[in-house]
Amino acid sequence: MTKSYRRNDGKLNMHKQRTNALLRFYHKLGSPPSFYRISGYFLKWLLLIAIGLTIWGMYDGLVLAPADYQQGDSFRIIYVHVPAAWMSMFIYGIMGVCGAIAIIWRMKMAEAVMLASAPIGAWFTFIALVTGSLWGKPMWGTWWEWDARMTSELILLFLYIGIMATYSAFSEDSRKAARMAALIAVVGVFNVVIIHYSVQWWSSIHQGSTVSLMGKQHITWDMLRPLLVMAFATKFYYGYSMLKRARIYLLETESHKRWVQDIITEKKS
Amino acid sequence: MKPFLALVKRDLTLGLRRKSQIYQPLVFQLLVVTMFPLALGSGAKTLALIAPAVIWILALLASLLTLDQIFKNDYDDGSVESYVLTSYPLPMSVMAKVLAHWLLSGLPLVLFSPIIGVLLHLPASSYGILMLSLLIGTPMFSFMGSIGSALTMSLKHGGLLLTILVMPLLTPVLIFGASAVVESSLGNSASQPLLLLSGLLILSITLIPFAAAAAIKINLE
Repeated sequence: MTKSYRRNDGKLNMHKQRTNALLRFYHKLGSPPSFYRISGYFLKWLLLIAIGLTIWGMYDGLVLAPADYQQGDSFRIIYVHVPAAWMSMFIYGIMGVCGAIAIIWRMKMAEAVMLASAPIGAWFTFIALVTGSLWGKPMWGTWWEWDARMTSELILLFLYIGIMATYSAFSEDSRKAARMAALIAVVGVFNVVIIHYSVQWWSSIHQGSTVSLMGKQHITWDMLRPLLVMAFATKFYYGYSMLKRARIYLLETESHKRWVQDIITEKKS
Repeated sequence: MKPFLALVKRDLTLGLRRKSQIYQPLVFQLLVVTMFPLALGSGAKTLALIAPAVIWILALLASLLTLDQIFKNDYDDGSVESYVLTSYPLPMSVMAKVLAHWLLSGLPLVLFSPIIGVLLHLPASSYGILMLSLLIGTPMFSFMGSIGSALTMSLKHGGLLLTILVMPLLTPVLIFGASAVVESSLGNSASQPLLLLSGLLILSITLIPFAAAAAIKINLE
């Protein structure tokens, strides 16, 4: 059934009604005015869920979860650090996919989502680096260690900065700038894998085993639960922030279009 | 093959007429290398220890100086548009440009590297590996630079942006290239990093011309 929606020649009448609704929704999301309208419904809920989950996760992680037998209370930074590090990679993956769509099918919404994701991903990367270094000081005795994960995270931050720098360099033509940034994102996604493994290999020859965050110790459910809650909280926050940024991007780039002017006059009246 | 060779020949002729582009990166290398012993103090041991890293980083920086030229001049005089318009596949034109750029900027770096090695007291046993690793590694600078140059060719001052874009993408090349030299200077076999480096080069040859061609097309819109 999932494959049949491409053929609208009447041969697949059975599913026509249903699949067409899906297809219509998909096409609607691809057009800026509909995206603006539909995303408006989600914004409030995404933010509320993100705040709720964050409060739950923080309380659970910082108060309820038991202290680690080795690291004491300072392990609790993982409830910020690990979700941020996960998001830094998750968002980069999304940007790669959206970048490919933007280059191949030239969908404006893919460009908007990709560009809206870049600063969020960069900030999550930054948070992961800063919290990692804050955690490293009491644990490793140093603010910065050139271990594989920290190094590849730092390079990831450079890649994010590169994408944003590309976009801002071509300020006179935003569509072109967006596609340029998309190309860098796609090249980067291929490269991120190579960088990750080469950095891992590099750290394994340059220094012995480093203390790893989780080690081989088993994590109890009481410790894991807040982590998962925070992982979901960051996802919802990303959804909120990304949609909000994408909407502003649309208003900016389509400011000469009728639908934007309609919204502005609506807001004023 | 004929347009390919013609393009390479044209670029070589143009490049050889403007010799400053060939020797200036080498002079730059020599200057920076001179700064190292001066800053470190006269300790031969330290120099030998950091030699592989310094040589590789210098090669990277020296080629970054010329990377934006891969397409810049051709964009300014309109030749890039003719590469796009002709029936000859654009990725192949990119390949020719990259080859010519490497012959003019990468190959001199490879041939010059033993002199830098001598200045940094690199152990005698690792000169072969040093040149071999640079021979495999420097084409990747030109390849990755072709994407960066294709993206920044229409900008007036695209050099810094190109550096920001290209440098993080080249970290694997630096890791494997420098570690090959390190291994050989310690007396170990350098075949593992060299093989990985060759693998990256093959990947670059097969994929990057397409990415650079896409970048050119986007830039000319």
